[in-house]
Amino acid sequence: MFKTTLTALAFMMTLPLTASAHGPSRQKVVQSVEINAPADKVWAVIGNFQDMSWHPAIAKTEGTGGNVGGAKRTLTLTSGGTIEESLTGYDADKKGYSYEITTVDVKTLPVNNYSSSVRVTGDGAKSTLEWKGAFYRGFVNNDPPPELNDEAAVKAVSGVYAAGLAALKAKLEAGG
Amino acid sequence: MKRAVDVLKRLWVCALFVCVVLSAGPQASERAALQAYVTNQGSETVSVVDLGTLRVTATVAVPGKPAGIAVDARTDKAFVTAPDASDVVVLETKTNTVVKRIKTGGGPVGIAVHPRTGLVYVADWYASRLSVVDPDAGTVVADIGVGQSPSGVVITPGGAFVLTADRDSDAVSIIDATTSQRIASVAVGLRPFGISLGLDGTRAYTANVGSDDVSVIDLASQRVVATVKVGRRPYAVALTPTLGFVTDQYGGTVTVFDVATNQPVKTIPVGDHPEGIAFDEATNAVYVACWFDNELVRIDVATLSVAARISVGDGPRAFGAFLK
Repeated sequence: MFKTTLTALAFMMTLPLTASAHGPSRQKVVQSVEINAPADKVWAVIGNFQDMSWHPAIAKTEGTGGNVGGAKRTLTLTSGGTIEESLTGYDADKKGYSYEITTVDVKTLPVNNYSSSVRVTGDGAKSTLEWKGAFYRGFVNNDPPPELNDEAAVKAVSGVYAAGLAALKAKLEAGG
Repeated sequence: MKRAVDVLKRLWVCALFVCVVLSAGPQASERAALQAYVTNQGSETVSVVDLGTLRVTATVAVPGKPAGIAVDARTDKAFVTAPDASDVVVLETKTNTVVKRIKTGGGPVGIAVHPRTGLVYVADWYASRLSVVDPDAGTVVADIGVGQSPSGVVITPGGAFVLTADRDSDAVSIIDATTSQRIASVAVGLRPFGISLGLDGTRAYTANVGSDDVSVIDLASQRVVATVKVGRRPYAVALTPTLGFVTDQYGGTVTVFDVATNQPVKTIPVGDHPEGIAFDEATNAVYVACWFDNELVRIDVATLSVAARISVGDGPRAFGAFLK
């Protein structure tokens, strides 16, 4: 679900997919999962911006800058595409960080201007991980093709979040 | 200056006191007429919020992903842009009903009402044009060439000039409202989105999404006289007589600056993705639409702190003059 099976229209290649151009309707996705593990344990798994191996769609994380604002990482997907991201905020005390995508091909993830945050909140032996994303669809003008419209963008991001949260819950509850 | 600020603060406290006294008396219903019209892009509605009781009193369906708004108290109308429908939607604010949809084409975003002619100016995000709409006739009567991806629109208090923030040109167009001609393009920071005027109408302020700052334009000389560093991805600016309030979308904050010195005064955490922002003199408050949190947040100007949160529809943007 990370990788969409679309055939990019030829003219799409000529459009600048920069952060400065997008349609006017931003989309949002919020998902959370309750995990039978204390928040510290959850944070220990997801708190390193330079290691996203907890997500099943990520084959490799390479980056610079550690967990300091401005840090970079490049995610290589199991399906082959890459996503370049930048850390925009990090708060170990609150067990959360925010980041944005700096470069991605809409064939890999059909979004523009994607920003996101993850946060763990604890309640004794249980915790909740919330993952939020704000983004625009892959097509920057009016009348998008179906594979690059608002619904396609929301569906793709929702799929990424669902897969990641489910895998993380399974991993932690199995004692991983 | 400090003394002047203190005096103003005292006056405001007095004004607030008068309001409190009045609201307890027979004029309560008049006082309660002050409302916010919040465009909810996700739920495709407009939430009408009573700023006296802080309750949503009506929710109006507006298909087409509503974004921009211009409330015109003079005619009891609110003009809403619906970019997905390429329409301007006219709301009657006495009854809170949609009375007309006017086709503009393109992607209408920012919108403003001329204080004398009643004409409505609409920025088309997808073209380099500002459309002039006659709301009575329900037609576009003129198209004015501006910079690329015009977003915010504002009109000087006397109605002489219309200004657009031309986002992808990194500039502001100044248009002579009488001739409908662009007379100047003023270079500002990177990717200006929202544009507002100071209360005396001599200065314009752009929120520059790309450079995380606010450009202060002197309209007489048509040039930038100051740049204020703010939080990440600023969206829009609201001005009081002494302070500027800027929504920092990615920062989740409102940056407050002194309009005399153009220096930041305070950063107020407000919520996720704060966007549309406006100052209301009667309640001495600044109202902020938080897009991710689905809330209208009231900031008390005297204390510079969040005083109330009101739940609205999904994805509130309230881009423009959304207070009545």
